[in-house]
Amino acid sequence: MKLYDYVLSGNCYKIRLLLDFLELSHEKRAVDFFPGREHKSDEFLQINPLGQIPVLEDDGAYIRDAQAILVYLASRYDPTATWWPVNDPSELGRVAQWLAFADSITSTASAARLHDVLGYDLDVAQARAGAHRLFRILDDHLANQELQGFNWIAGSNPTVADIACFPYVALAGDGGIELFYYPAIQRWIRRFVNLPRFKLMPGINIFD
Amino acid sequence: MKPSELEAGWFPAGLQNYVLPKTAGRVVIADNDIALWRGEDGQIRAWENRCPHRGMRLSYGIVRGNTLTCLYHGWSYDGAGACAGIPAHPELTPPKTIRAKAYRAADAGGFIWVANPGETTAPPSIDGDWVPNRSVHIDATPVSLNELAEGMGAGLVSKITDHAGIVRVHGVEEEILLAFLDMKKHGAMIHTSVPASASEDVAIAVSKLTSRLRQVFKASSAA
Ligand SMILES: N[C@@H](CCC(=O)N[C@@H](CS)C(=O)NCC(=O)O)C(=O)O
Ligand code: FES
Repeated sequence: MKLYDYVLSGNCYKIRLLLDFLELSHEKRAVDFFPGREHKSDEFLQINPLGQIPVLEDDGAYIRDAQAILVYLASRYDPTATWWPVNDPSELGRVAQWLAFADSITSTASAARLHDVLGYDLDVAQARAGAHRLFRILDDHLANQELQGFNWIAGSNPTVADIACFPYVALAGDGGIELFYYPAIQRWIRRFVNLPRFKLMPGINIFD
Repeated sequence: MKPSELEAGWFPAGLQNYVLPKTAGRVVIADNDIALWRGEDGQIRAWENRCPHRGMRLSYGIVRGNTLTCLYHGWSYDGAGACAGIPAHPELTPPKTIRAKAYRAADAGGFIWVANPGETTAPPSIDGDWVPNRSVHIDATPVSLNELAEGMGAGLVSKITDHAGIVRVHGVEEEILLAFLDMKKHGAMIHTSVPASASEDVAIAVSKLTSRLRQVFKASSAA
């Protein structure tokens, strides 16, 4: 199994997190994303015509899109069936719903971070406003989960939905989005970093 | 040295569970950036959010036992704010003059309260057993506790400070604690606590009413 990876990519970090949580042996192939733009090279476009990372190669097949890779890995390699809870359709529906939400976090919070950290030319005010709109929804949801005794996005266990939302929420400060506006999100971040086998990514400043 | 001055009195800085034992967090009171933290002793502390070394935010710090260690170069500070160790000079006993600037801090009514170091009044004393309910960020600061209560459809039962009081909310059995924290350019935070005896339904209803305040106290530019 091979992950096309870039250390500072939050989307690649999602996959590294699950590989560690499930203790799956794998190989990492570093993509020179910045400044090399290797993900836009002819060679890489053969692997992913969208020119994006992460991509996972397993059993001779390529899978792209962080959320899709999380679903694939968890359904195939998680014997406890908790990260992608196939046996509980209503929980599974919630997980899928928040996976889609995670992708909108990428297009807002992550865009603001690309602007501030890598100097990307984009409308940062709009990206930040979009992120705040989503973070309010997530903060409301997590607060009400806590009040009902649930620590995680979809219920009592962490799932791929928590993994998919985690990186760009935790890194949002790099894009000028103030996390102290969202206390329930902050508590959830602390629970997440305390999961067994969790590893920190550069840029995430939370320690317990 | 004194930290930058707050207005007189005690400010509701956050819910008690915003800062769990052995963690640190950031809060803004008016224009003042403040680090809140608890050691394993559970005691709440509020310091100016600037490391005396090079100004790193102490709210990013790591709590070990009852000391806070700055993330940047690892200077550590004891519970009273005195520098307790400098990793680059392990043999050195840090001079007594290196101190984090401390405010007063206390827990009451499910909230964390902060005041100037020289504040002469005692922290609010609030009767009964309260549990933290919800903290919500709003864009525009209410002009008064009355305006906030009105925005929530609540009636003020009794005032605790200019920014906090006990209110009765339409459709909710129990009286609740309601407070706001003016963060000036950052807008404001609304905090609520409910009686420890409140049911889960009451807790969720209050949380939802609190988050609805975002629609009431919108930035004037946002249509
Ligand atoms: N929906 C994709 C988005 C992946 C993505 O945006 N990856 C970034 C790196 S973090 C990328 O490759 N960006 C280059 C581009 O989109 O052109 C996923 O979730 O994997
Ligand atoms: S800035 Fe805190 S130790 Fe250097």
